[in-house]
Amino acid sequence: MKILIVEDEAGLRDSIESYFTGSDSICETAGDFTTALAKVSVYRYDCVILDLTLPQGTGLDIVKHLKENGHNDGVLIISAKNSLDDRLTGLDLGADDYLTKPFHLSELRSRVTAIVRRRTFNGSSILKFNEINIDLDAKTVKVNDAIVKFTRKEYSLLLYFIANKGKVVSKSAIAEHLWGDSIDIADNFDFIYSHIKNIRKKLVEAGANDYIQAAYGMGYKFTDA
Amino acid sequence: MKLFDKYNRVNIGVTIIIMLVTGIVYYYTISHILTGQIDKDLVLEENEVFSYVNKNHRLPDVYESNHQQIVFAPLKQQKAQRRFLDTVYRDDDEKDMEAARALISSVTVSGQNYRIIVTQSKVETEDLIQIIFLITIGVIVALLAILIILNRVILKSIWKPFYKVLFQLKEFSLASHPTVSSTPSTIDEFTELNQAVINMADRVKSDYQNLKVFTENASHELMTPISIINSKLDTLVQTDEFTDKQSKLLNDIYGTVTRLTRLNKSMLLLAKIENGLIKDNTDVNVKLILEECIYQHEEMIHQLGINLKTTLGEKQLLANKSLIEILLNNLLSNAIRHNYQNGELSIELDAEKLTITNTGKGSFDFDKVLKRFYKSDGSEGIGLGLTLCKQICDNYGFTFRYIQEGKLHSFSVIF
Repeated sequence: MKILIVEDEAGLRDSIESYFTGSDSICETAGDFTTALAKVSVYRYDCVILDLTLPQGTGLDIVKHLKENGHNDGVLIISAKNSLDDRLTGLDLGADDYLTKPFHLSELRSRVTAIVRRRTFNGSSILKFNEINIDLDAKTVKVNDAIVKFTRKEYSLLLYFIANKGKVVSKSAIAEHLWGDSIDIADNFDFIYSHIKNIRKKLVEAGANDYIQAAYGMGYKFTDA
Repeated sequence: MKLFDKYNRVNIGVTIIIMLVTGIVYYYTISHILTGQIDKDLVLEENEVFSYVNKNHRLPDVYESNHQQIVFAPLKQQKAQRRFLDTVYRDDDEKDMEAARALISSVTVSGQNYRIIVTQSKVETEDLIQIIFLITIGVIVALLAILIILNRVILKSIWKPFYKVLFQLKEFSLASHPTVSSTPSTIDEFTELNQAVINMADRVKSDYQNLKVFTENASHELMTPISIINSKLDTLVQTDEFTDKQSKLLNDIYGTVTRLTRLNKSMLLLAKIENGLIKDNTDVNVKLILEECIYQHEEMIHQLGINLKTTLGEKQLLANKSLIEILLNNLLSNAIRHNYQNGELSIELDAEKLTITNTGKGSFDFDKVLKRFYKSDGSEGIGLGLTLCKQICDNYGFTFRYIQEGKLHSFSVIF
């Protein structure tokens, strides 16, 4: 997938770029409004990761520009502004999703993947990963055509891992993904372990490979190996 | 004591004392004048006796009339000393004793000295004094009554602007928006007071506003460096193999960054609520959110073996969904975190209120807990959870209540 990262903080921009580059993604970056506008005017992207507060302008105008010109590039807004104020404006203008800073790169990637998936599959909602077939509408998982029952959290976690395939996903990121940020995360590390144990067990019992590995006590990694 | 009670008390006290003193002075003055009048009558009587004696060389007949009495008594050698005195008068008609005034004098008839005692009853004088006294008392009472009523009416209306200013001061809250309104008055002092209060309120509000804006901006600006740290950490863990020691360090850093984020988000949220920046009200189904919260917490409830009882009725609210989620999540997290193994947790929701009751160790001071960054012993939170709950309740005009009965702690939100 082809991604444009519009972010004025170089530190954050570089991290996002290095996290997304590789495997199957191509990343371009823009550090200010003018560069970003020039890029979205000429090239098409699967997803634009867009910071709202930019030098020379606001990210909302880029969303407007895209919609006015009939480009349906996916747009994910990232902003330090809380979901409580700018979210609706952004979403009303046609952005696909909104992520509040600070965020985990794995969460960003999972959101971007979801946007791209929605846009490119166009109707087909089956996500295929080797022997695992996931019906995103029905929220069912099949391994070798046999349905495997997952709880809501396990299902969500499985999708999260697949979106972050090949990356170490920290426990903090997993906890935040599963329980949101209004719940104290430190309490939940034990539960992560048991959820992951269950996913692995269910997949392996259904005849799939064991794709999830623990990563040095810090997190987990979903690998296609 | 109210000002006009105090004022009335002093005023009426002084009035009574002055009136009493006046009354006494009045009494003695009138008494003195009237006694003088009687004395003149007595002297007149005495002169009549003298002129009678001079003319007829004998004592006049003793007669008695008009509360007046003349008595002659023979004396031996010396003459009686002429003097006036207070005495009593026996009224034969009415058979009682009356206060009287007497003049003792002497007269010589044919070489024989006689003592003359002319006595005149003071009963009429006394009556007069009594009437005057009653009128005076009547005037005093009437005056007092008028004073009290006037004070009530006039003072009340004069002090009206003062009470209005006072009421506004009592109602004054930094968080609420309408500021102190002007209270017109024709009295300079009150106009000045009013102006001073308005200025003070405006100054306090603007100072507080600046402080809140600063808090919000500071929290906001902090988000960018925190997100950079976070993303750099996420990038770092992708790089290579780590030793146990390194991964432990990294875990600690992750934990701390997460905590910093939560702290900052809570502060930002508090500032936003206080600044009245949270609008975006939609129809919120409290029951659905509550069920979602319970689902989010199911692992913790399960792990502690908590016996969960729920009675969830329908409740719709016009509010910001995120805020209601935060409120319910905080309440539920607290009820679980402070619970013990195999404890109880009951959640009741109906159209009027939400009550979350849990068993829990120890007790705490509710008012203290509502303060920012206050943590009860053994609490692992950041100390803003209940402050946020209170703030959210205040924002929507809900009542946030806490009751403890033995081991049961019960938090209620009354919509």
